[in-house]
Amino acid sequence: MGKRKAWSPTLQACLAIGAMGVVLLPVFLSQTPWPTVARDYLMQYGQDESGARNLVSAIYLGYRAFDTLGETIVLLVAVIGTMGLLSRVESLVNTVGDDDNTIQTVSAFSLRGDKRSSHVLRTHLLEVVTGKIGPIVLLFGFYVMLYGHLSPGGGFQGGVIIASGIVFLALGNQQDNTSALSKSSILGGIESVSFLLFIIVAMSGIFFGKGFFGNPLADSAYPVGFIVLLNSIIGLKVGASIGFMCIAMMGGHD
Amino acid sequence: MRPEDIVFATVMLPLLGAALAFCAKLLPKGRVASVVEYTGALVGLGLPPLVLILLFPVVFSGQSVSGVVGQWFVGIGITFRFDALAWLVNILGFTIGTAAWVYSLGAGPKGPAFTGVFLIQTAALCATIMTTDLFNLFVCLEIMGITSYVLIPTSRKAGATLASFSYLMVSASAMVFFLLGTYGFYRLTGALSYEGISNGLQAISSSDTVLSIVSLALLVSAIAIRVAVMPLYGWLPDAHALAPHAVSAVLSGVLIKTPLFALSRILFLFPAGMQVGELMGIAGGVTAVLGVVIALSQEDAKRLLAYHSISQIGYVVAAWGMAISIGVDSPAGTSLMVAAFLHAFYHALFKGLLFLSIGTTVDVAKERNVYILRDSIGKLRAAGERIPVTFMCFVIGALAISATPPLNGFVSKTAITYAMKGSLHYYLLSAAAVGTVASFIKLSRIYWPTGKRGRLHPELGILPGSSANPQTKAYGLVARLTAQSVLAVLCIAGGLAAPHILTIIGTLMSRGGTNIAVPPILYSTDNLLKTGVTTLGGILLFFVATSKIGSRVLHTIRTRPRSFQGLFVSFSLGTAVLAAFLVVGKI
Amino acid sequence: MVERALLLCLLLIGFWGVVAKKNIIKKIFGLNILNAAAVMLFILEGNRIGSEAPILESGLAQVVDPIPQALMLTAIVIGVCVTALALALAVHLYQITGSFDIETIRERIQDET
Repeated sequence: MGKRKAWSPTLQACLAIGAMGVVLLPVFLSQTPWPTVARDYLMQYGQDESGARNLVSAIYLGYRAFDTLGETIVLLVAVIGTMGLLSRVESLVNTVGDDDNTIQTVSAFSLRGDKRSSHVLRTHLLEVVTGKIGPIVLLFGFYVMLYGHLSPGGGFQGGVIIASGIVFLALGNQQDNTSALSKSSILGGIESVSFLLFIIVAMSGIFFGKGFFGNPLADSAYPVGFIVLLNSIIGLKVGASIGFMCIAMMGGHD
Repeated sequence: MRPEDIVFATVMLPLLGAALAFCAKLLPKGRVASVVEYTGALVGLGLPPLVLILLFPVVFSGQSVSGVVGQWFVGIGITFRFDALAWLVNILGFTIGTAAWVYSLGAGPKGPAFTGVFLIQTAALCATIMTTDLFNLFVCLEIMGITSYVLIPTSRKAGATLASFSYLMVSASAMVFFLLGTYGFYRLTGALSYEGISNGLQAISSSDTVLSIVSLALLVSAIAIRVAVMPLYGWLPDAHALAPHAVSAVLSGVLIKTPLFALSRILFLFPAGMQVGELMGIAGGVTAVLGVVIALSQEDAKRLLAYHSISQIGYVVAAWGMAISIGVDSPAGTSLMVAAFLHAFYHALFKGLLFLSIGTTVDVAKERNVYILRDSIGKLRAAGERIPVTFMCFVIGALAISATPPLNGFVSKTAITYAMKGSLHYYLLSAAAVGTVASFIKLSRIYWPTGKRGRLHPELGILPGSSANPQTKAYGLVARLTAQSVLAVLCIAGGLAAPHILTIIGTLMSRGGTNIAVPPILYSTDNLLKTGVTTLGGILLFFVATSKIGSRVLHTIRTRPRSFQGLFVSFSLGTAVLAAFLVVGKI
Repeated sequence: MVERALLLCLLLIGFWGVVAKKNIIKKIFGLNILNAAAVMLFILEGNRIGSEAPILESGLAQVVDPIPQALMLTAIVIGVCVTALALALAVHLYQITGSFDIETIRERIQDET
């Protein structure tokens, strides 16, 4: 019972690409003028209704905040899935044996001091520079996160910069004095607690009479406070999640 | 509290439960962590049905709760609509979800991470059916997708990772094309809500119709991949067969149906929606027949069930497609839509029951090949089941799927075929019914005794008749059997209470208008005769299939070459064919 | 016009990567390119109706359309998450079967079952 050959793979691929290309031509090459309805409305009312000067922040934390909740959930589930899979890979790797080639590559860059057999990839220069820059990058990340309603930035952008700051701190630990921020328990904790906070803030609008995901501070002096709060929660969550994932992929979760 | 606030409780309560479960992950393993996790599950799966009961009077009177999330400007904010369709799909999701989660306490992957992701999946289902905004639909479909990609490999089987990877690749690429469809519609109309787009589409010039048709084709085929109609089914058998049993039940029962009903909201409003329904109806009929033929050839028990899911979703799509092409505002259209939903619901019940009972059987017997496995009743008894509950549950499920009265499968299949009498779909679905009976006789062989009474599988290693059976605890039989029994009871109840249920759903679906669906007469001589003929045909087909020539043919079908590329080729060609069909229909 | 034709080519190259390449890491690259092309199309076309970034200041000319930018923030994050999960799955597949080639992986998994 031999295997029967399917059609030639190149032919199949050409068929798929060709069909899709033909279908997508009208989408890419259409000459309809881009609608200006949304932009005009937002230029006129966006700042008054949401309190933010950055119209993009006004949209994704105000008008369409539900989408942002969904996006945060995707990030959360992705981190859980990745960590679950990588911990299984880790257990497979540990059972193979120390003279396997795979282990060598995984641990050359890993964070555990006892597994670092050579400093080929992880030079002294790297450790010194990243260790010193780490806190500055974290500070910059917090700035981008908190000023999201006034200048380009916001929770996600700031969060990713915070994550790179966390990775720098983790890379830069000389003599194994690991920063508390690169411990998996702390990062996991920040992530779960910020998710819970986000849900509570989303539901808080109900109790203030503004409906689900409404702005509970809309009638107070600073309606933009809601956006700043959401930006902070998202920034912490994204920073903790992505930092957690990066550290795990580098081989250093405990 | 206004209805708008309560409506979102079906989405937020599971999310809150998931947040609690993740906090339980932080606590050290022990009683406190378990208590927090189970509280999360109770909040996420137990409270929303109460909310749904509260909302029943609202939707029964034909009203719907709609608005913008957060009460922002309607042109930019996210609109939603909670009507009878959303209510019904929510009931479906929570019933199957609760039963599957209880089962997983005994059998499946345990732990706060699993519970949390499971609850998030449930929340995503509720959000998908309630949304009337294209980009929000994109986000909700992505959440449903990513929770599936994460839940499938938790079964620790080698093939599960590959199945999840293939599903991820196909689904993620399809969602990029969905995004391009959204781009097309936003460019044409400047709106993202269904109402806004449909109003805008009335006003476009004729040179832009091609763009609107192509965008619709992209949206529909991206959703059709999730629904797994032919020819886009390739990812489903591996994913559903290799996932943990609780997850298979939810995947087959709920996740392939919710995108379909979410799509119907789009198709009600857009021009060219009716032609899409027509094409998908035909595809559904073909799916029903082909799915059952391939199912008959399978040797792995769960893969056989997975192919059956494809076949049964073909039934649902055929009825649904026909409903949309006729127009849901007519009595005929409404009765088809009622039949489609009823079959979706009952299929979720009996397919869930089948996955859970077959799951228990193959776990206890440690063997999945239907040609090899025999005498499962004995093995189950040795594992601690005094009364053969699992076998009885399997029988109920098998009879239900073969449309035997008075179980629920009979009701829904009769409702479908009654509403589409005489058309091409009718003949395709009747042919599929014969195949269903045959393949379930084949599957039931795993329970037949081999005649070697009293000899036990050496791995079980326990003596017959021992009362304090350690296996009971090892297999988590209490949780498994509870979940299975609940679903079995619901199957029977769904069959016996059929007239009431049909009337209720009919009223719900007609949205309080004047297009009340006419409930079909279930127990007419015609229908019973048809059932008898189908059963006899099935038994005949079973004997043909197990003969020499039949086995050879089935073997050829089973070992047909399947490749990763095939998924994408079928996706591209399917989209192109759909676009061509719509363009030709417009000219 | 030229930019959009190039974006279409980019998208098709990404799709080619997902469909035709045998190495699963290259498939993941292809998925990334696919996402990038779609994102760029939205942003590029949204920029045609204005000339300033959508941050309100006094005395501003027309800003670009902020809606595609907000939507694409979400789409980019979702794309990154899916890529991370795909990479974790790929590493797991490598550990089980020892290969990154999809055909070899499929054969070895089928031999095991």
